[in-house]
Amino acid sequence: MNLKELYQEIILEHGKNPRNLRKTENFNKDAKGNNPLCGDIVHVYLKLNEQKKVEDISFEGSGCAISMASASIMTDLIKGKSDNEAKEIIEDFLGMIKENPELKSNILKEDDKTKLMCLSGVKQYPMRVKCATLSWHTLISAMENDGKEVSTES
Amino acid sequence: MNIDTIKKEFPIFDNKIQNNDLVYLDSANSSQKPKVVIDKISEFYTKQFSNVGRSVHYLAVAATNLYENTRSSVQKYINAKDKNEIVFTKGATEALNLVANTLGQKYLEEGDEILLTELEHHSNYVPWHYLRKSKNIKINFAEINEDGEVPIENIEKKITLKTKVIAINHLSNVTGAILPIKEITELAHSKGIIVVVDGCQGGPHLKLDMQDLDCDFYAISCHKMYGPTGLGILYGKKKWLEELPPYQGGGGMIKEVKKDRITYGDLPNKYEAGTMATAQVIAFDQSIKFLESIGIENIIKHEKELIQYGQEILRKNNSVKLIGNPKNKGGVLSFTIQGVHPHDIATILDEDGIAIRAGHHCCQILHDKLKISASARASIGVYNIKSDFDQLNESINKCKKIFDLR
Repeated sequence: MNLKELYQEIILEHGKNPRNLRKTENFNKDAKGNNPLCGDIVHVYLKLNEQKKVEDISFEGSGCAISMASASIMTDLIKGKSDNEAKEIIEDFLGMIKENPELKSNILKEDDKTKLMCLSGVKQYPMRVKCATLSWHTLISAMENDGKEVSTES
Repeated sequence: MNIDTIKKEFPIFDNKIQNNDLVYLDSANSSQKPKVVIDKISEFYTKQFSNVGRSVHYLAVAATNLYENTRSSVQKYINAKDKNEIVFTKGATEALNLVANTLGQKYLEEGDEILLTELEHHSNYVPWHYLRKSKNIKINFAEINEDGEVPIENIEKKITLKTKVIAINHLSNVTGAILPIKEITELAHSKGIIVVVDGCQGGPHLKLDMQDLDCDFYAISCHKMYGPTGLGILYGKKKWLEELPPYQGGGGMIKEVKKDRITYGDLPNKYEAGTMATAQVIAFDQSIKFLESIGIENIIKHEKELIQYGQEILRKNNSVKLIGNPKNKGGVLSFTIQGVHPHDIATILDEDGIAIRAGHHCCQILHDKLKISASARASIGVYNIKSDFDQLNESINKCKKIFDLR
């Protein structure tokens, strides 16, 4: 096990300077997520246009380097995608964190995949997987717009 | 028993944790177990096991005697007046739920007020919160000062004519502040207010003398006192335990059961429904003996030196911010590092075999007040030594390096 794999340069950089850490104006979908065990919270905002394309995505919240970097990279990659593409990326990412050795989707460019794969280091740290996946589960909830708060413990 | 060599009584330290020697700084969460306690559990199941208090056969009598023997040891250890003031529960959480629930059933009325402090663990808040809903009880919070302690004046300030219960922790699991329970109880009793103490952190670190503290209830967590998990103790003054209704119904707590009426057993059976954590109770006697063999005065002295040493070391480390600076402090050192989230600290420390806790430590009210979402906490037990804090400090420096802090 190796801390360098977990705290790669790109994670530390996104963790320190998260992209899209703000609230989208005129968002039309949103959801909150929390991890009651550690107190991490995230609020994801989405603006889907009439063609169901993600015009803007942002998040507010606080958490560890892993959770902030994950939300930051997620919002960067989802912006500009259609809702179906977004769903495919989410599924692909969660599948990779859970069991798949690599990402399968063809939607993402190679360097985007490299960015996401930087988060694969959490696989060796079971207690930290939730840090990496909270914002993604919250994004699913926002897209489904069921208004349900996402919790890592239910 | 010599406190400097006590570590060898704990088998866990014989093992490598991910190729490192274990530096265990998470005792406020749960303490490690000495060999005598582990062996007793095994011995009981191997040679003496039976359910207690029911059958008349040889093993049942032997097990019952062992079980009741622990009750007597606890009574002596905490200097309770009567053996029947000791009730075994599944944890301190259940002990506090028992008190809140039964006081709610019989003693509290709509509009009454409960006074807590901002330091309380969720276990000493959530059970009272239920009474907000069911009985329209109001809950007030005595504030902490800038050192993370609750001076008695801050408690006095929040007492009103409707205050019926003051429920407070003995030692804060985040700031380490030791509350002046005896003085608070004196003040409370002069106004006819009941005092309930969450003694989870008091148990392992402080002298427990119920007759001196004079509080009405005191909840103990056995697994934080070098004992088994699944066991807590509620101390309650006899007059309250006799007056209040039972908490849970079941076998062992009744006197007579008829189709149209039920009468309940005498203390302490009234509050011990169903088969109890028998092996844990019996093994806890060894925890008490272990604590007695070192002597609480020696433990207090050893831990005070350790905490002072830890404080000195961490204060010298820039970018580490200690949480709270109580004059009377024990057991824990909580801190944050500007620019590194507590969870990242905990993961990096873990890589060096150092176990700490990160999060809000079940004290969200306190963390909200401090305007932080989480903190890192190093907490000690009898087995810790000064070099544990040297290693902690070294690993903190590693965190800073990874996160590029100067």
